[in-house]
Amino acid sequence: MNVLIGGMGNVLLGDDGFGPYVIHRLEAEYDFGGEVELADLGTPALDLTHRIAGRDVVILIDCIQGNEHPAGTVLAYDKAELLKVVPVQRLDPHSPAVSECLMAAEMLGATPKHLLLLGAVGGSFDPGSPLGIALRAATDKVIATVIAELKLLGVWFRKKASSGEVPIWWQVSSQEQRSATE
Amino acid sequence: MAKRITIDPITRIEGHLRIDVEVDNNAVSNAWASCTMWRGIEKILRGRDPRDAWMYTQRFCGVCTTVHAMASVRSVEDALKLEVPLNAQYIRNLILIAHALHDHIVHFYQLSALDWLDVLQIPKADPAATSKLAESISPWTRNSRNELKAAQDRVNAVANSGQLGIFANGYWGHPAMKLSPDINLLAFSHYIQALEYQRKALQVVGILGSKTPHIQNLTVGGVGNAIDLDSQSALGMDKLEMIRSLLAEVAQFVQQVYFVDVCAVAAMYPDWFKIGSGVKNYLAVPDLPLDSKGSAYDLPGGYIRNADLAGVKGFQTAADPVFRHSVTEDVMHAYYQGEKPLHPWDGETEPAFTGWDGDQKYTWVKAPRFNGEPAQVGPLAQVLIGYSQGHVLTKKYTDMAIEKIASIGGPRATPAALHSTLGRHAARAIRACMLAELAQKHWQLLVDNIAKGDYSVHNPPVLPSHEVQGVGTHEAPRGTLSHWIVIKNEKIKNYQAVVPSTWNASPRDHAGAHGPYEASLLHTPLARPEEPLEVLRTVHSFDPCMACACHAFDPAGRKIASAKIL
Repeated sequence: MNVLIGGMGNVLLGDDGFGPYVIHRLEAEYDFGGEVELADLGTPALDLTHRIAGRDVVILIDCIQGNEHPAGTVLAYDKAELLKVVPVQRLDPHSPAVSECLMAAEMLGATPKHLLLLGAVGGSFDPGSPLGIALRAATDKVIATVIAELKLLGVWFRKKASSGEVPIWWQVSSQEQRSATE
Repeated sequence: MAKRITIDPITRIEGHLRIDVEVDNNAVSNAWASCTMWRGIEKILRGRDPRDAWMYTQRFCGVCTTVHAMASVRSVEDALKLEVPLNAQYIRNLILIAHALHDHIVHFYQLSALDWLDVLQIPKADPAATSKLAESISPWTRNSRNELKAAQDRVNAVANSGQLGIFANGYWGHPAMKLSPDINLLAFSHYIQALEYQRKALQVVGILGSKTPHIQNLTVGGVGNAIDLDSQSALGMDKLEMIRSLLAEVAQFVQQVYFVDVCAVAAMYPDWFKIGSGVKNYLAVPDLPLDSKGSAYDLPGGYIRNADLAGVKGFQTAADPVFRHSVTEDVMHAYYQGEKPLHPWDGETEPAFTGWDGDQKYTWVKAPRFNGEPAQVGPLAQVLIGYSQGHVLTKKYTDMAIEKIASIGGPRATPAALHSTLGRHAARAIRACMLAELAQKHWQLLVDNIAKGDYSVHNPPVLPSHEVQGVGTHEAPRGTLSHWIVIKNEKIKNYQAVVPSTWNASPRDHAGAHGPYEASLLHTPLARPEEPLEVLRTVHSFDPCMACACHAFDPAGRKIASAKIL
């Protein structure tokens, strides 16, 4: 089975770094076999298509705008729901395009068999601000959901013996970072 | 009576482009380009170690990651007067070329092609006739009747499903669509194939940079790639051979498909050589350094004022003193505090949001100016600057494009016709061909240099305690990118990124001069003002990038997708 677990978001913009943070935690806390690719996808746009096309399973983790939901609420979208989102006229090729990329993959006959988008509602997106408390708490729920999904699909993984607190490189001051690498 | 049209694809919270035009007698009479979100990411960098800056800057944008990483390390190297070993220059050049080829292919097929081709015409095409037509204009081996029929079937399947899916947002059947059903099918089949080749280009970035979209191999003073020809884990012959073969495949697609498709579109839409010129001051910086000092380059740079090609001023280096001292940013019409235009080293980014007011402040984009005037950047600027200086490679592919367009039944274009919407597309395809050729050259330069026994990849930086300033430039896919850094006590004191889309999407300045997007839209005829396809054609021709900001998926905002709450 060919599985992609991808975290999306801009790590420099507070809660938007949620997806990449979940990926860092999964890397630190679990071992996966060769069939799983974990990827910090940053903020992909139309070029997400080739990342997801031809996969058996794609699990995307993103920060979403919640409207009526409070920060930290986790929402799950499946493939059928995402394919219903009507794309808008776009002025630039770089705005996010999850649904469009999924539709492009579908047109190519290469849509993933199984797709899940787990979105945590963000609260603050200020440049340089840390991941908020509500979003940090939501990572546990999202990781548990990802792991349950993998178990259901029969994908191999193993919890690492001990991982401890996972540092977030983009929130560490440069001095701490340098002394950590030396 | 002028009518206002706003194109504002508000769907997500990231900063994005908004265009407002006033339409009078079915032509654009006034235009405003604006960005809807504050970036201000540079402020994060203050107080950090300059050697780490590139890791942060490559997160500015999800698509232009490598370009911001590269400009950042170059700015520190410029400030420290640090040379970069030859191997590192070549490895960086290969990454930049592969990224640019990927980007140009994505731009034409995924963003702009559907401005010119009408998906609804495709079911009417005859795949056998299309294949014959294709053979007459290109040696590409994937234009067979079967391959074209398969592409047509895909469109039919989407059309018959009742849901247009990815095609739901097009202006199908618009009177400004002119391609024959067969050309529509041909271009569409390449739209599908393009997905494969853009992936191959990114694979090269991934092999050299160890990860995409965020490369890991850069370092101030060089690269982190260990070179060992016999190793499979380091950069050895196995990986180099894989890179060579991927670049050759991408080069073939660029030269036999992308370039030819752009020429075919140009031949069928001759009017668009007369529309969309706008600002005719052009700016480009030299790139793809050929030595460790950065004194010789494979891509030329310079400045053209007011379309005076004969009066072109060339830049000798990527941080040419003329460039270094001629750039300012004006915030008269942008949501920032400040009065007079400032040089980027003295730049401030203090927000002062007022709401959109076309007469006052209306955008988060500052107005960069070169010698106090707006300048257009991007492949068109680079091609005009190269052509007018007699740059051999630029001339080769520009002349080839002019011939090709004429041979497909289009007009015999002159370099002057390039000041236009189609000119920007043609120039991008010309640049892609140049880069495809240069990819093979720089691969060979790298292999030959290693064969001489030079394995050096890095010169260690030494940070001085006194204050130093530097500028790192890169001629990125969308044009001139410059990162400006001030370093004091081994920390970043100030950092400003003047990005290509800031030049092109710039608002008016103190003198009231329009930015390039705005100026290019004036007088554009609109067949159906309520479906402003012509505005999109010109805006897309610049390859805008506004997503240097936030990314949050928002299906709920549109009440279309329903989710399960966990």
